[in-house]
Amino acid sequence: EDAERINSADVAVVQERRRLLEEWYAWRAQVEEELAEEREVLGLPADPVADLLNAKTAAIAPGQEEQIIE
Amino acid sequence: MRPILLSGHERALTQVKYNRDGDLIFSVSKDQQICAWFAHNGERLGTYHGHVGAIWTIDVDPTSTILASGSADNTIRLWDIKTGKNLKTWEFPTAVKRVEFNSDGSQLLGVTEKRMGHLGTIVVLDVKIDVEAEQTDEKALTIVCDESKATVAGWSYLDKYIIAGHEDGSVSQYDGKSGDLNFNIQIHELDSPITDLQWSQDRTYFITASKDKTAKLITAKDLEILKTYPSDTPLNSAVITPKKDFVILGGGQAAMDVTTTSARQGKFEARFYHKIFEDEVGRVRGHFGPLNTVAADPTGKGYASGGEDGYVRVHQFDKGYFDFMYEVERERQNKLNQQ
Repeated sequence: EDAERINSADVAVVQERRRLLEEWYAWRAQVEEELAEEREVLGLPADPVADLLNAKTAAIAPGQEEQIIE
Repeated sequence: MRPILLSGHERALTQVKYNRDGDLIFSVSKDQQICAWFAHNGERLGTYHGHVGAIWTIDVDPTSTILASGSADNTIRLWDIKTGKNLKTWEFPTAVKRVEFNSDGSQLLGVTEKRMGHLGTIVVLDVKIDVEAEQTDEKALTIVCDESKATVAGWSYLDKYIIAGHEDGSVSQYDGKSGDLNFNIQIHELDSPITDLQWSQDRTYFITASKDKTAKLITAKDLEILKTYPSDTPLNSAVITPKKDFVILGGGQAAMDVTTTSARQGKFEARFYHKIFEDEVGRVRGHFGPLNTVAADPTGKGYASGGEDGYVRVHQFDKGYFDFMYEVERERQNKLNQQ
């Protein structure tokens, strides 16, 4: 009987965790979608820093890409 | 988890920051020093000289070109990371407790201290991420905190909001462009100062640490409390780990505040909690004093803590950390893999 009680408590804990996990990832999916939409409306790139980093690399080594000869 | 001990500071650490790539660590301390370190081996890359007071805060722009620091000498300074040159100094009437670059490094916010005759403020400065450029003297924006001074602040996703944590335990959302107060919510216990505010990677939510011994996960858009992490000691810092769903809390009672034998241990440990389930899952010992700051490697490989003891401890996560999963997480993972 004790074992059964412990067992059902475990099941309840696991079910609660499953619920929390689902709730979290559902919320994340919604937020990510909203953010992507807002970026699009504002005409912003998906990754704002990628362009900056490319610009920095280009400034450090200008024309390097053209120099690659295979 | 073998830590690397960074010993270059002579006094308490105040903030530790990784750059975006996670290969550099910047640390500031009450000893007026800014240090830069290689994250993988703890070798010191350099120091930045100029401040003449305790340094409270540091940040690095997203391209790892420029550093910003705020100090008890009432200045915010910009530094060329590579050469160590002091590029710009802005002066304020009081100490600067927090600085943070916005998402593209075009603006920097600074939190100034409240003092007799001066209210606490949040200032916004336009910055050019170019070591050759002339930086402007003018402030783009000044937000005056007339209710309770701000202790920490940061920029939300799209720089839409400036979020501030206050001395009275409340959190404010300001408009990122106009600086207008949208709303203020009592998040932590009344009059328990908020000691840290750090973002999720996409800056849609953040974590706060407070002297009320809890850390909380909050949405940027509505300031809704998503999760609460209770601990048994006043907290100085909290961070969300990328890649894995954990948060790391740092705190501890300073020796001078310890009056009872129950606090003998000091509790100088980094505490790991599961971000979603709110359970404490582990602790990491090592510091001899309270943890003043914790930072997570943005690539998810490790974390660093800075202590009142003057040390920075850098930890690279081992396989066990990455393998650790709750049964329900594994179940979800398996389901995703099957799809």
